[in-house]
Amino acid sequence: MDFDFTEDQESLRDAVRRWVDKGFTFERRHALAKAGGATRAVYGELAELGLTGLVVPEDNGGLGQGAVDAMVVCEELGRGLVNAPFAHAALMTPALLAGAPEAVRTEWLPGIAAGESLVVPALQERAARYRWQHVATRATQTGGAWALSGAKCAVPAADEADAFLVPARVSGADADTAGIALFLVRKADVQVSAYATQDGARAGDLRLNNSTATLVAQDAFALIETAVDVGIAAHCAEAVGLMDRLVAITVEYMNTRKQFGTTLASFQALRHRMADVKMQLELGRSMSYFASLKLGEPAPQRRRAISQARVQLGQSMRFVGQQCVQLHGGIGCTDEYVASHYFKRLTMLEMTLGDTLHHLGEVSARMQDTAGVFA
Amino acid sequence: MDLNFTAEELAFRQDIRQWVAENLPADIAHKVRTALRLSRDDMQRWAKILGKKGWLGWGWPQQFGGPGWNAIQKHLFEEECALACAPRVVPFGPVMVAPVIMAFGNAEQHQRFLPGIASGEVWWSQGYSEPGSGSDLASLKCKAERVSTSSGDKYIVNGQKTWTTLGQYGEWIFCLVRTSSEGKPQTGISFLLIDMKSPGITVRPIILMDGEHEVNEVWFDNVEVPAENLIGEENKGWTYAKHLLAHERTNIADVNRAKRELERLKRIAKAEGIYEDQRFRDQIALLEVDIVALEMMVLRVLSAEKSGKQSLDVAGLLKIRGSEIQQRYSELMMLAAGPLARPYIHEAMEAGWQGDLAFPNTLLPLAGTYFNMRKTTIYGGSNEVQRNIVSQTVLGS
Repeated sequence: MDFDFTEDQESLRDAVRRWVDKGFTFERRHALAKAGGATRAVYGELAELGLTGLVVPEDNGGLGQGAVDAMVVCEELGRGLVNAPFAHAALMTPALLAGAPEAVRTEWLPGIAAGESLVVPALQERAARYRWQHVATRATQTGGAWALSGAKCAVPAADEADAFLVPARVSGADADTAGIALFLVRKADVQVSAYATQDGARAGDLRLNNSTATLVAQDAFALIETAVDVGIAAHCAEAVGLMDRLVAITVEYMNTRKQFGTTLASFQALRHRMADVKMQLELGRSMSYFASLKLGEPAPQRRRAISQARVQLGQSMRFVGQQCVQLHGGIGCTDEYVASHYFKRLTMLEMTLGDTLHHLGEVSARMQDTAGVFA
Repeated sequence: MDLNFTAEELAFRQDIRQWVAENLPADIAHKVRTALRLSRDDMQRWAKILGKKGWLGWGWPQQFGGPGWNAIQKHLFEEECALACAPRVVPFGPVMVAPVIMAFGNAEQHQRFLPGIASGEVWWSQGYSEPGSGSDLASLKCKAERVSTSSGDKYIVNGQKTWTTLGQYGEWIFCLVRTSSEGKPQTGISFLLIDMKSPGITVRPIILMDGEHEVNEVWFDNVEVPAENLIGEENKGWTYAKHLLAHERTNIADVNRAKRELERLKRIAKAEGIYEDQRFRDQIALLEVDIVALEMMVLRVLSAEKSGKQSLDVAGLLKIRGSEIQQRYSELMMLAAGPLARPYIHEAMEAGWQGDLAFPNTLLPLAGTYFNMRKTTIYGGSNEVQRNIVSQTVLGS
């Protein structure tokens, strides 16, 4: 048992942090968000750092790194409030393509690793909420060709992406886990209506109307669950970075801002709140490690662990975000000050790939007689 | 980063598990499993079994006769004992006073006191809190005056200690006493070892709200203590006491016991037909998440101690969270029993009690445990004091 990072991982962390400090200031981030949240250029800079190929296998032009390396990067992207779709495009997409035929992998993965192709999962359907088996989009095969019909919502970076990984139903009812296949659909073959998001990025809805599609995997539900768990672990790590930085910003403010003739940091009511914030941050960090370290476990243990982690992180994100705004007072509510942007990202993240109540339900349903880190 | 224990660590765990299985008396384990009352004999029997093996001082270095285990080995030992339903080792001797004697006592004190602690022969109590000094421990008043006599220097101790856990069994007590009223309150405190058979000591029970006699008042009326029972230097006792607190790090979270009690909560909830109630079950699920998160935090601290690469200053957080979790599982167990938590039958806390009940007597201790657990967020530095400490670390001011 060992929770130290390797030297390579520390170098990776430093590299991302240096780029953030130099190249992704709050002013730039704020301007990008105000301009609609486009991040393709930012994603390109992540590619130059080698991050887009981080977990892509070496045979496919990537670096073949593991879950802890991805976690380190996500923590730093969180700390820097980076709004590019890294978790979706650089981590979930390679996880989904792990189930693809060699031809698809050879065609797409090198471009993805190089950051030239932006391919994002399009999982969300209107009625599904966080039940990924709920797939109403239908796939039909005519001759050898697949075509999809249906709609997907809130797809990350939808108008900036080159292609989408789209679950669609080959057979069965809308909520069956069986009969779901995964397809790759090029942007030219779907209708995209895009919008800015609350947290300063972009997303959009896809309308598929007999859209041409390439089969990535049959019986893809387990694969989708795996990729979702990869995404959740990444979001847990991003949340840790966001919280870590937001707490540091708040600490600085409390030591500077004076009221009643003394610093905010001297008031016990506020000090105790900060102790509770620190508690949620460290519990969250602990469970973010847990999530990433459990990604390689067999599905039942992995799913349970990921939901356990996500319940903790959900509570942490909510509490740390709300309290750090509160501890700032009025300035924390403004758009010009950085704290509110961390808060909004944390808030949206809590509802991505399953909210706290959803994952509490998962933990509840999956409880065993024994529990613990190694259960 | 690697979540798994090494092969050596797993082998170590297996050895401990087997030894505990072979040596923990079944009658004692039964009482712990069902939260029945433990007698002095129960606690000391287990202590002596551990002592004979050399494991009562499981955190001790080899030079003092301990096993010299690292942080992870200690944790695994504690976990195996907890999961097997061994009683908690009464910590005052082996966990609390012994490290102070080792670090600050002289060679003669090592030889005189450590063997009795290591073997479990001598029952130690703790004399810290006073009626006027709870969270503000440094304000303590129990006075020790040094006098010279023909039979050597002595301290004359006058005053009162309180909340002395299991002090009714105590043979020796380590006390913080005031030897000077000059300077800051912290600078006039000394660390004194006192034979509880000394004339002038009176121990009076305090019955807690669960009806149990767990804590005591200890009165000192002109108690003579030989000067050689002073640990270290006079007026440096506060420093030594802080050293003691630093020795209680991960242990204080008691996460191993929490895992065991979570299993018990699930058994009770199933038996009482409420495990399938979604609202109740979600509360158990939340607690399960809390326990896993606490365990991860403990493991992070252990790993940092083992490698020495990171410093994790989270002892205050572990105390706060661990105590909140203890309260929560005791609360949920009581709620699971619901209306059947209400009967109070003092004798039913004894093993072998045969009452004429139409429901299982395992439900009888649950409310009492809940009442008892209110202490956990108060003792060992109240959780509010812990928040003061944590905020100091975070804010740096």
